[in-house]
Amino acid sequence: MAKSLGIFVTSPQNMRHVMGVVKAAKAKGAKVKVFFTWLGVHLTKCKQFPELCALADDVAICVDSYKKCGYDPADVPPGLEPKKMATQAQHGDVIEAYDCYMTL
Amino acid sequence: MKILHVYRSTPTDDVKKLVSIVSEGRDTESFDLNVETPDYDKLVDQVFAADQTICWW
Amino acid sequence: MSKKVSFLLVNSMYSLDGIRSALGLSVENMYAFANILYNEIPAMSDYHKENIDWMRDMEGEVFSNVPANCEKFGLKPITLEELGQQLRDMDIIIPYGIMRPLATNDNFN
Repeated sequence: MAKSLGIFVTSPQNMRHVMGVVKAAKAKGAKVKVFFTWLGVHLTKCKQFPELCALADDVAICVDSYKKCGYDPADVPPGLEPKKMATQAQHGDVIEAYDCYMTL
Repeated sequence: MKILHVYRSTPTDDVKKLVSIVSEGRDTESFDLNVETPDYDKLVDQVFAADQTICWW
Repeated sequence: MSKKVSFLLVNSMYSLDGIRSALGLSVENMYAFANILYNEIPAMSDYHKENIDWMRDMEGEVFSNVPANCEKFGLKPITLEELGQQLRDMDIIIPYGIMRPLATNDNFN
């Protein structure tokens, strides 16, 4: 059985890598979670973001970062479950509940 | 312990130094993400085979 | 067993938020360390100072190789060699954000 993979996204520059890694991991049958924080939350505005949410098993963002980056927390990015506008505890989950870890 | 070093950009001298200290006496591999078309399939295989992955800037 | 996590913060736009993120793992019962490298923090609010105190209460620490950060904010000095040794002991190493410092030193308080 494939390992699971947690990805912590802190850079606003790496959407192609996030999509590439998630697609490759899902093709291998892996469970994948992605958590976006700080300036990484700008990637929620990329056109691929809804596709990412459909592809990954779990996608969450730091709502505090989203607010600090100038977005309205009521404006939930398309594809994201409202309850996944969350806190840094999601990062703890990425580390504790997944076999492998990457930062992008 | 097997460590995978992933490079998102060309590593600076300081990054190279940290990589060298962290890698000393350990089994290491590397993957360059800073290319036109990275082989994500290979990267995920390497991540799954490693005990620790460090994605440098 | 609690995981050991180290944040590497090389860009002034990311440093204070990186500390906040490290604190987020401290409260999740991990040993969290933040290292502010090659960027000077121009100012720190009480909120950020409290974050650092809180991390220390939970056996974490904030280091810097910038003397001004250590003098102004009481961060613990660290050299690149010492950081390398610290990283060897970590379960998770997080090169945070992007490498390039911006022309401005806006720390996004």
